[in-house]
Amino acid sequence: MDILPQLIVNIIIAGAIYALVALGFNLIYGATKFFNLAHGVIAAVGGYAVFYFAKTLGWNVYLAVIIGVLLAGIAGYGLDKFVYLPLRKRKASNMVLLVASLGAFTAIQAVIAILFTSQFKTLSYSVGTQRIFEIFDGVITQTQLIILMSVALITAGLILLLYKTRFGKAVRAMSDDEEVAKIVGINTNRIIGRIFFIGSAIAGLAGILVGFDTGIEPTMGLGLLLKGVIASIIGGVGNIYGGVMGAFLLGFVENFGIWKISGEWKDAIAFALLIVFLLFRPKGIMNK
Amino acid sequence: MNALEIKKLVKHFDGVYAVDNLSLAIEKGKIAAVIGPNGSGKTTLINLISGIVPIDSGVVIINGVGARAIKPYNVPAYGITRTFQEVRLFNQMTVIDNILVVLTERNVFGALFEKHSAHHLKRVEEVLIKVGLWEKRSALAQSLSYGQRKLLEIGRALAMDSEVFLLDEPFAGLFPEMLKIMVAAVKDLRASGKTVVLIEHNMDLIRELADHVVVLDSGKLLAEGKSEEVLSRPEVMEAYLGE
Amino acid sequence: MEYLIHLAILFTVYAMLGVSLNLVVGYTGLLSLTHAAFYGIGSYTTAILLTQSGVDFFPSVVLGIILTLIASFLIGLVLSKFRDDYYALGSFGFNAIAFAVFLNWQNLTRGPLGIPGISKPELFGIDFSNNFNFLMLVLAFLGLVYLASRFIVNSSFGRVLKSIREDEEAIQVFGYNTLYFKLAVFMIGAGMAAIAGSFFASYITFIDPSGFTLMESVFILVIIILGGLANLRGSVLGALFLILLPEILRFVGFPSSVAAQMRQLVYGLILILLMLYRPQGLLGEYKI
Repeated sequence: MDILPQLIVNIIIAGAIYALVALGFNLIYGATKFFNLAHGVIAAVGGYAVFYFAKTLGWNVYLAVIIGVLLAGIAGYGLDKFVYLPLRKRKASNMVLLVASLGAFTAIQAVIAILFTSQFKTLSYSVGTQRIFEIFDGVITQTQLIILMSVALITAGLILLLYKTRFGKAVRAMSDDEEVAKIVGINTNRIIGRIFFIGSAIAGLAGILVGFDTGIEPTMGLGLLLKGVIASIIGGVGNIYGGVMGAFLLGFVENFGIWKISGEWKDAIAFALLIVFLLFRPKGIMNK
Repeated sequence: MNALEIKKLVKHFDGVYAVDNLSLAIEKGKIAAVIGPNGSGKTTLINLISGIVPIDSGVVIINGVGARAIKPYNVPAYGITRTFQEVRLFNQMTVIDNILVVLTERNVFGALFEKHSAHHLKRVEEVLIKVGLWEKRSALAQSLSYGQRKLLEIGRALAMDSEVFLLDEPFAGLFPEMLKIMVAAVKDLRASGKTVVLIEHNMDLIRELADHVVVLDSGKLLAEGKSEEVLSRPEVMEAYLGE
Repeated sequence: MEYLIHLAILFTVYAMLGVSLNLVVGYTGLLSLTHAAFYGIGSYTTAILLTQSGVDFFPSVVLGIILTLIASFLIGLVLSKFRDDYYALGSFGFNAIAFAVFLNWQNLTRGPLGIPGISKPELFGIDFSNNFNFLMLVLAFLGLVYLASRFIVNSSFGRVLKSIREDEEAIQVFGYNTLYFKLAVFMIGAGMAAIAGSFFASYITFIDPSGFTLMESVFILVIIILGGLANLRGSVLGALFLILLPEILRFVGFPSSVAAQMRQLVYGLILILLMLYRPQGLLGEYKI
């Protein structure tokens, strides 16, 4: 019985991290309509950048986080510029883009492993002295609180960006219909480039926060990607609110599943949820 | 006798009625033209009869056999073959294979162990000569010109030897030479007692070919009857030209 | 010489996997990323039977095929509801679920500890624990798999598969219930992968879940895309190249400490470059 409050805290934390990945993934999917499998490894780029600047070089942590987020954004932008954009210009099918992103994922993950070894590393300096808050009967760390706040901030910021700016209007027009957007004179490729930057920067932040919360390893991207993708799909792919909702639903089902079954089945549970959704509600919770 | 009969057919997409309580009958051995402005439900009608989109309600009666639901893979069993408005070939397959594939065994084991019989290849040759593509037989379908693609698609339909042919804008965009081949193919079908339902916009072609004209507007039947008679009605021309 | 035989055996196993996956991906256009799951079922069936019961190698192969056929029937039935990128994602999910089963059904698979001491076959008095004899045996089976595949793709059945790949809805209207065709080829491919798995387990004598991850499925996909989609010889060639790649890298002088990562990097780059410049692969006859 006393496990319940902690379970709820865990669900919220997991949901918040998945939501960050899903936000960026959805943004990119909305504009490009293909599954960018490299999205997860971009999160790892963010995490490792912070590791390098803050721990190896000993720079200020906040500065390192900013650099990490920017680097992740630049990595995503670069992928679009040098891989996806040329493919789009050639009118390549979604499958070609998906396979190319699978290649990018594999290659970047390998580069990270070569540079930093495959070992698990932590970003936080002193886990022991981290401030711990108790809510009801659950325990939440300072990092986790920061994760929650950043998710709230970024979701709010993204909604403002999409609904209150000209850029956002163009993005939404493209998500609805790229052809029409082109006709009314929106430079879709430039916008897609910026979307890649923003979406990847958010993914980078997700990777950094995971790094502070638990730790980083080169293969972290796959897990994050899959959870983000699953959250997006069950929420309604391409839909910002849907992605966040899907993320929390996924967090809920996973943690509840772990409680009832066992921790090792976490991934299998997540995928089972995905397949159930694909079968019975392929457009997710939010999309009709 | 009617080759094709439709009773109270309904199809709506998100509340918009594409086909709205439509009933009509098409006589065997005739060419019937379905006309109407864009969005009047012509293609949806063909899609319903060929099982591409499910029927909401109503009945389709083909050669006396009624159906309330049609699975796409049962369409040939009803004696129906169709073509598509936006030509749909098997692009990365050869011209020969595009036709051969509709002649072979339908069940998995049959197809796996089928002996490649000469009579299938004979039929492919006949059809390809008829539509003027025999020279192109080894080319990939994707390498053909637009007109050749349309001819290959009609060839694929002809190979099926069905009773009813549903042709979605078979003449659109064809140059005179290929148009001649296409028109001859359609006339041949009628001469051999087959029924043809075609969607067409060109009035001259309709006058030349169609025995029967069906006019649709917003999914409803506006007029129907012998072609000279229907085409001379002022309200038909108005609805049609008023698009 | 022993090392050459070792490489040749690995090549043969992967050629079998490539040829069988090409039936599904290259000829039928179903981008399956779950091939390693079937390879794993074959491996585990042989491993478990040979170590824990008195069953001989060849009956264990047959049982592995039967179990794989059942699994692939069920998975194929679910996947047949999806298309293109959703198919890829769903199949990804099944590989993750299969991996979780290998890892967590510890009573049967011993989980992460793996199964050691798998024996080699003996038939008609020929002892296949001699690696050269073993190589001849696997090569013979590769020959069978190859000939069967060639028979399939050259049959009327194979022509229908290609038409499904090109336009499934169109071929349906001509009277083919495509579900049966897709299921049949998926099961045939899976059964062949199970054969490869049985041989792999018996040869390597020790298996654990890490051999049947998503990355393994990606690796098999790289083999067939590199060699060429819808070209059986291409898959054999692709397997040869990718098995020799580590040797080439070592020859060029890369430090062995990062050899595994280096290989991953090359796989990723191969995928990206192929998608950019030659999406049908080296000998391919089909562009995705």
